Amino acid sequence: MSGMDCERLREEGAELALGILPARERAEAVAHLDRCPDCRAYVERLTAVGDGLLGLLPGAEPPVGFESRVVRTVRPAPDPAPPAAAGPRTRGRRLRERRFRFRAAAAGVATALAFGFGGWAVGTVVEGAPRVVAPAPHVLEAALVSPDRAGNGREVGRIYAHPADATSGHGWVYMSVDLGGGAVADGPVRCLLVRADGSVVPLGSFHVKAGYGYWGAPAPADLAPGTLSGARLVAADGTVLATARFAGAAPLASGPAGAGADERGGAGPAGR
Amino acid sequence: MGVGRMGLPLERVSDEALLSGLATGDPEIAVAFVRRFQRAVYGVAVAVVGDPRLAEDVAQQTFERAWRHAQVYDGRRGSVRTWLTAIAHNLAIDAVRARRATPVSPEDLETLVGIVSETPERRALADDAAERVRRAVAALPREQARALVMAGIYGMTAREVAAFEGVPLGTAKTRIRAGTIKVRALLESEETR
Repeated sequence: MSGMDCERLREEGAELALGILPARERAEAVAHLDRCPDCRAYVERLTAVGDGLLGLLPGAEPPVGFESRVVRTVRPAPDPAPPAAAGPRTRGRRLRERRFRFRAAAAGVATALAFGFGGWAVGTVVEGAPRVVAPAPHVLEAALVSPDRAGNGREVGRIYAHPADATSGHGWVYMSVDLGGGAVADGPVRCLLVRADGSVVPLGSFHVKAGYGYWGAPAPADLAPGTLSGARLVAADGTVLATARFAGAAPLASGPAGAGADERGGAGPAGR
Repeated sequence: MGVGRMGLPLERVSDEALLSGLATGDPEIAVAFVRRFQRAVYGVAVAVVGDPRLAEDVAQQTFERAWRHAQVYDGRRGSVRTWLTAIAHNLAIDAVRARRATPVSPEDLETLVGIVSETPERRALADDAAERVRRAVAALPREQARALVMAGIYGMTAREVAAFEGVPLGTAKTRIRAGTIKVRALLESEETR
């Protein structure tokens, strides 16, 4: 894995803080910050300059009617169902809100690292960074799907992978899940990447709270574009909680995961 | 004056509480939120994209995103206003990049450098955070102030700054770095005074 030392970080810290460092250098710089608190503090100090510059731009009155147009857009449609009969509707809405929550959080983290690293992205890569821009075409995105009892898939999260290219040394993987408090309400969840040849690479683990969590980590150096086929989230007891398959990837060697499937993880051929 | 669920007139509710209140879907809160921040958000958008119609789209998207991402706002990292202007800034840069190769014309750049480094007497005496930044930018050599505005406001990379100014990449990187570090140093020296 290529590394960036403190000296180079200090050279590029201003560009990182202003959010203009190109993707490859940014990935290296972020990886360095992840292990160097001094440089992190340095970059955090510099981000105040970018924020301060924006604060100098004069306010301007938007066109007439702007306020009502915005409010119309963000206001949820009225729910006509009376409270007594609102059970399934409420649940449906809650699910939609949850889905939105993990999409938003994962997209925020992924795009923060893929596109910009302003003041709002300085921090750990697992924290939500609302740097909200459209994902780049080279970032792989897939739904994390959990099978229900009927064998149908239910989307419980999103995963984004920015594979290493020939020169950058490593890529990044970010994800956000909302498992709904079923299989794992609070506790560690392991993430395994699945290569196109079916072999499995453990990426790391993170904690979910009330079934919800988001996380990011550097991807292995040998994870070149085209070699990544999907991912699995696995509970501490080996149960597969969710699987993802990246668009254009070959079907996972192990096929769709079943509830309660056993996954003892680790490198080596996939297959349960 | 609307009185929200928070038990206060909405005009007096804190920025953070108003942001949290968006999740309730209460239209009064949404109106109060937009009303409070629309000038700042639209101001950033129009400064970066130049075109009022496009700026309105950017500002509208900013509020939509704020509403959707309210739960990831972290007050330890800055004010709601700073957060919103950062979102508007990102969206504006994307909007410009999707439409033209050069993010800014030489004339617009000059105008904006003038605005962010303008220090008339009444402002020089003020001591809020924005005026401290303004004084610090005004104290920079002109080429560093230009590089800082190109990078920090128009989102231009060092390579783009180099091409725009007709200087080597290393020079552009040095200007961006020196400008940023000097502004930070001046801010810190004023903060500790």
